[in-house]
Amino acid sequence: MSHWIELNIGPVHPATHGIYRFRVKLNEETVEDVDITIGYLHRNAEKICELNYFVNNTIYFDRMDYIDAMNMELGYLRAVETLMDMEVPERAQWIRMIMAELSRIAARMVGIGALGLDVGMLTPFFHTFHEREKIQNIFVEASGGRQEVNYMSIGGVYQDFNDTIINEIKEFIAGFKGKLEEIVKMFTDSEIFWQRNVGTGVLEPDIALDYGVTGPMLRASGIPYDVRKDSPYLYYDKVNFDVPIAKSKDNMGRFLVKVEELRQSVRIIEQCLAKLPEGPYFNPKAKKSAMLLLKGQGDVFTRVESESGEFGVFIRGDGNVKPYRVHARSPSFKNLAVVPIMAKGSLIADLIITIASVDAVAGEVDR
Amino acid sequence: MSLLFRIHQWFSFLGNFASYGLAYLIQSIVVLIFVALSFVALIYIFRKYMARIQRRIGPNRVGKFGLLQLIADALKLIGKESILPENRDDMAYKIAPVIVMIATILAFVLIPFGDLAYFGSLAVTHSKVTLVLMFGILSIIPIGEVLGGISTKSNYALLGTMRAVAKDISFEIPMMISVLAIVIVSSRSYVTGDAITGGLSLSGIVSNEIIPYGIIEPLGLLIFFISMIARASYSPFDLGESDSELISGYTTEYSGMRFGFFYIGLFGMVYLSSFLISLLYLGGSNGPYDSYVGFIYLFIKTDILVLISFLIWVAIPRIRIDKFVDLGWKYLLPLSMVNLVYAGLFVLYIR
Repeated sequence: MSHWIELNIGPVHPATHGIYRFRVKLNEETVEDVDITIGYLHRNAEKICELNYFVNNTIYFDRMDYIDAMNMELGYLRAVETLMDMEVPERAQWIRMIMAELSRIAARMVGIGALGLDVGMLTPFFHTFHEREKIQNIFVEASGGRQEVNYMSIGGVYQDFNDTIINEIKEFIAGFKGKLEEIVKMFTDSEIFWQRNVGTGVLEPDIALDYGVTGPMLRASGIPYDVRKDSPYLYYDKVNFDVPIAKSKDNMGRFLVKVEELRQSVRIIEQCLAKLPEGPYFNPKAKKSAMLLLKGQGDVFTRVESESGEFGVFIRGDGNVKPYRVHARSPSFKNLAVVPIMAKGSLIADLIITIASVDAVAGEVDR
Repeated sequence: MSLLFRIHQWFSFLGNFASYGLAYLIQSIVVLIFVALSFVALIYIFRKYMARIQRRIGPNRVGKFGLLQLIADALKLIGKESILPENRDDMAYKIAPVIVMIATILAFVLIPFGDLAYFGSLAVTHSKVTLVLMFGILSIIPIGEVLGGISTKSNYALLGTMRAVAKDISFEIPMMISVLAIVIVSSRSYVTGDAITGGLSLSGIVSNEIIPYGIIEPLGLLIFFISMIARASYSPFDLGESDSELISGYTTEYSGMRFGFFYIGLFGMVYLSSFLISLLYLGGSNGPYDSYVGFIYLFIKTDILVLISFLIWVAIPRIRIDKFVDLGWKYLLPLSMVNLVYAGLFVLYIR
């Protein structure tokens, strides 16, 4: 006996944050099979990167994980700077770290708020976006851009931190600590939220490793893998932070890991602000008039920890002013691939929460 | 003395038949306009209240303090093109929102609003079985939901309809049993212990309810409140719509004013369920000097209940369908049975 209907979740559907499509085979309320179609936001970013000068490509990386733009830029620039043997001044590195962590918080705020929406609570969404708005104001102050910031550039950052920005960040951090606990309480105080998250969307660690899942999803499956800790970049080895893991492997575990990482991000930013040295904010070798002439040769692959996981960038340079090949290893793409396994046999309501807790960003999935 | 007879007195020069007809017409219009106005005010309050909870400002552009926002929204809905799905069952598709809206509005006719000084009792209907009629009318609403969901032949709407039906079936029974307990309790005056009539009409129950029945049977109040949230289908029990999963459930394929009808039905049910709870469990229009201002007591109780409902609506996430049906059958049904037995024992005791 198989009476099933096919339900389209996406490309235009409130539960898909971004544009992708789940074709769900449903037996009444039970999910029998999920087929993911991606590519609706494919913009040929990797190919376009081959046509541009190294310095121009930052904006295309901004638009990959468009809610976590700073980490995307950082991922690309790390690869380019390794390729060019470009040194980044100390102050610029600390600034990059602060911005990367702020961006991580901003992106998490979207993810957690959207999880609230999918569970059926509208309220936390507005509170999280309120906090995200403050971070975006900091970005505007620093770079002029709210979302696609284009702040970092080869050899440093676009503009130095002035007192206004530092004060704004300090103010934000001071307010955010309490606000985060308030937002988390909105979720964890609700019995129904626990009921819907505990035991749903279970991801076994071996499957996660097989599929190349990284980020909070892997950590929620009990594997403490974080690029920031395991192969530190910038000055992540000079600050103290913990890598939280969850043993429960389910949606609740992922939620709690994400929340704990927010607390760790706050810790990192506080330490960065304390250690922020004086000095130049970009390498004079990459001064603005000479930027287009920067050349690179060889193959590099570097990684950073973005909001959704390990974001790797591969660049091959042939000694020219333009890259020969650019490839991005996007975490959302890998993370999304396990959704059918996690959702099989569960109810459709669980599938929706699982999609929300994976928190894949369509721009990064399709590139 | 009631509003009906007052109006009849004013027009008595027209003769008996014409003046009664006119009186029925006028008082129906007066009461319904009053309900509609308070309903509009309520939606405005809801939006402001919700905005405050969510760190927003809420409507503040249309009219003074955004007071005309709802009218603007209604005009927008009327002006919108009503997109008709291609494979629809035309008759069922068009009649479904009308059924939902009319049934909701019709139910307000049966509510005894209490007394107001010179005009007397503000009840449109003076039937002896308004309680039965009320739940009869309320059981029409699911028909509209089912028709609307199935006639569009959309998978989202189909799933939404299935959920709505599951919801209605599993919560109708505990609700009716807890109402039955009210009827039993109100069959005897707990002051004198005598048998009294009028237990099947809402006004009869209210007039017997010197101590609110919510105090006598708090369990019944709880069951009825939960069941009424399920009937009105707002969060946490908005499973028929489940907007993050099924887009909009059985209303997915509706647009324009047809969607507006469902919307009116939803808010109307919130209001109506608050009226019913305050009538059956919180003493309705009873209070000091209730022959002059009883009507105000009822509205205060109802509005407080509506605000509580809105708070629940905003703060609590949606429950999953299996847990939801479990709640109905495994918890509320046995509890309502216990409540029924308790009501019987209570009546035996006061006798």
